[in-house]
Amino acid sequence: MDIFLQQLANGLTIGSMFALVALGYTMVYGVMKLINFAHGDMVAASAFVGLTIYTQVMGQSTSLLAVIAIFLLAAVTMACVGVILERVAYRPLREAPRLSAVVSALGASLVIQNGIMLIWGPRMRIFPELVPQVYWDFGGVVISLIQVIILVLSLVLMIALYLFVEKTRMGAAIRAASIDQDAARLMGINVNSVIALIFIIGSSLGAVGGLFIGLYYRGITFNMGWQYGLYAFIAAILGGIGNIPGAMLGGMLLGLFNAFIAGYVSSTWSDAFTFIMLIVILIVRPTGILGERVAEKV
Amino acid sequence: MKNLQRYGLPAFIVLMAVLPHLLNDRWQAVAITFLVFAVVALSQDIVLGKCGMFNMGQALFFGMGAYTTAILNNEFGWPIIATIPLAILIPAIFGVILAGPIVHLRGDYLLVTTIGFNIVFVQVLQNNLGGITGGPNGIFGLDSLSIFGLNLSSQVAVYYFAFVVLILTLWIIRNLERSKSGRAMHYLREDQLAAESIGINTRIYKIFAFGLGAGIAGLAGTVFATQYAAVSPEAFDFIQSVLFFSIVLVGGSSIPGVMIGVFVMFIVPEIFREFATWRYFIFGFAMILSMILRPRGIVPATFGKIPQFLIKGGSHGAE
Repeated sequence: MDIFLQQLANGLTIGSMFALVALGYTMVYGVMKLINFAHGDMVAASAFVGLTIYTQVMGQSTSLLAVIAIFLLAAVTMACVGVILERVAYRPLREAPRLSAVVSALGASLVIQNGIMLIWGPRMRIFPELVPQVYWDFGGVVISLIQVIILVLSLVLMIALYLFVEKTRMGAAIRAASIDQDAARLMGINVNSVIALIFIIGSSLGAVGGLFIGLYYRGITFNMGWQYGLYAFIAAILGGIGNIPGAMLGGMLLGLFNAFIAGYVSSTWSDAFTFIMLIVILIVRPTGILGERVAEKV
Repeated sequence: MKNLQRYGLPAFIVLMAVLPHLLNDRWQAVAITFLVFAVVALSQDIVLGKCGMFNMGQALFFGMGAYTTAILNNEFGWPIIATIPLAILIPAIFGVILAGPIVHLRGDYLLVTTIGFNIVFVQVLQNNLGGITGGPNGIFGLDSLSIFGLNLSSQVAVYYFAFVVLILTLWIIRNLERSKSGRAMHYLREDQLAAESIGINTRIYKIFAFGLGAGIAGLAGTVFATQYAAVSPEAFDFIQSVLFFSIVLVGGSSIPGVMIGVFVMFIVPEIFREFATWRYFIFGFAMILSMILRPRGIVPATFGKIPQFLIKGGSHGAE
């Protein structure tokens, strides 16, 4: 039972990180029908940007105000990178064959990943201890302050995003553009602005996810974006890609699945188990858990 | 363009035939790498370019061929040449088995599933399943090539082995393009529904393309294992699959396009070794730029002999 509760806590923590990153994939896919392969590398870049802001701008301060500033600055930086990325690599290809945009996304991923390597070096860096190491022991189940912060902050951000998309006019524009771009344009929605907005939201959520990854795992490497990005993308597919609550649910489920595999089976096989589960789900229910069944356009 | 097709390929073959005698040891090794990766990229082109299926796991079949050769040679003492039939058959059979349940998936889902196969494969190799894959270090110390007691261990011999495999692949693709199945694949890529309505069994041809591509990639794997006398899991990582995927699309899924793609991706870095750390950074930009300037690839594939005045806009979407 202890193992179960411990892995439940760990799973919810990594699940909320997956979910934050998955939202960036799912929102871009929802509107542009494009897998933004560069998103995972943006997440990795965010952790490095956070590291540099901590050492260069904040003078290694870990006061609450400094930590909030690090999160905000990293999110703003990555939002700018996201908008530039969309402008340079994706907008010129919106009318091109789908695969061209996929290759462009892969190219952007290589640029960002190796840009990180050229700036911060190829070796692993240690992310600063922004949050004090506080642990609570509940009869054998150990929960850290970092885990609580990650879980609570992720939930707050996800609820805020959900309300934004469901209740505001801008959210309605996003939903309209993801149903049918052309019809949305005819209704007077500026689709270019919607896409820019999506990249701003997705990239800043991914940036927070990247900082969480740094806080939780401590070691950050330039090529970690592929790994976390792939997991987050699987989470998005699991929930039904293009579906915002689906990405949150998928992230949590994937985090729990991973934690229980690591706790009960073996951590060296976790990738294989995750992908086998994904393949089985795609064969049985190709649209994911919350995805709607849509006939393919011909 | 027509001249390129008529004279380009024979000129290329003649050049490649005399090439090893013009190069020193290091560049011979580079040339072998070019041949091997060209074969894998062409096999990827059958699935991705000709059939239009988003396959991002071709390194899996490449690796399966290489590991088949390595395991049969190392564990069971088979000569390298004798492992070739199985190094083609096993990946081909796996290609058919793996493709069976997934070919109906839509593009992006297929892409993720094939990435998944590749990652599961690499993890199986790393965890040394059954104790025969050698774990993270792989298998090394394979025998060198020999036929009928004739020892062909020199690098030039390996080069010609790779060269023969490339010629064979080119021949298969040439014949494929002019055959019933090649036409079927072309139609199903252009419009699956229309292809089905004129009686093409799209499912069978998709699985066939996967199997054929996997078999050819497996053969390339044998050459790869022979060249290094070793195999290890990271050579068949899904990042490699991403490179093959990009090469085919940047090249434009035509034979010259794929060759240019392989040359740029694997040979140019050897020329500019001092910029090695900048390699992927620059390639990333090149990929974005080439897609913006030529969304259908550097040398777009042409199909059949349709008179120019009948082609409206000349836009065959790769979708």
